[in-house]
Amino acid sequence: MDTSLKFERTDEDDNHVLLRLHGDVTIHTSPRLREQLKPLLNASTREIRVALEHVDFMDSSGIATLVEGLQWARLTGGRFVLSGLSENVRDVFELAKLDTVFEIEGNSA
Amino acid sequence: MVTSNCIQDVSFPDCESSHVGKLCLQLNCKSDCIHVLRSVVAVMTARAGMAELQSNRVAIAVDELFANIAAHAYNGKPGRVEFETCIDGNVEGCQELIFDFRDYAAVRWTGNLEEATTHAPSDESLCPGGLGLRLICSVADRCEHEVCTDGNRWRLIFNINDGAS
Repeated sequence: MDTSLKFERTDEDDNHVLLRLHGDVTIHTSPRLREQLKPLLNASTREIRVALEHVDFMDSSGIATLVEGLQWARLTGGRFVLSGLSENVRDVFELAKLDTVFEIEGNSA
Repeated sequence: MVTSNCIQDVSFPDCESSHVGKLCLQLNCKSDCIHVLRSVVAVMTARAGMAELQSNRVAIAVDELFANIAAHAYNGKPGRVEFETCIDGNVEGCQELIFDFRDYAAVRWTGNLEEATTHAPSDESLCPGGLGLRLICSVADRCEHEVCTDGNRWRLIFNINDGAS
């Protein structure tokens, strides 16, 4: 069980951000994901891409944090995109019936 | 007797090495106990012969239920939780992986399990809350809740050899 979560942020330009996650997103680590996302959820950001190819496990607290990003996108007209979901993580989104609600690109493989 | 920050007691009431042996933990309910449960789930799903995806689903359900008890029943404060797991046969002769949780919280859960199972989020109803119970009910073949005079009893049941969900 990976209790750490690391972030790799790339500002592709002034309003397009790529956030790559490394580790498990759980009730322990999702507050740190929220800390990373919160400053991005403003009117000047146009697109946030969250890369999940290095995430093997995500629980509902992780999904709930990502839902906040989705709500930001709905409110501001920005894009909130998830990419590189592993089989386990994609399965959790499907079980939560949120796989069709999020904009999801590609697989991790 | 095992003493750690979150485990208060552990026992093997039946045969320790048997597939039908029961593992009991008495936990001091804090969210950091989840790593203990995750290890137990890994052992039990391996014993049940579940594939990785199925094992991950069981881990999700057990994690979420324990987190719900910690967050909502005990309101984030430490509290006693008895946890038991076993592989057993049902009346139809099928094998089941069973997880029992018993808390002694003052808060009695009064939600609707059927609603949690059938509710699908729409764009209009999208909100971060309530995901945990939806995941539990999506993953477990049966989720049972019983209000006790002094707390709550939860049971998660996963059928073995049919996809576990």
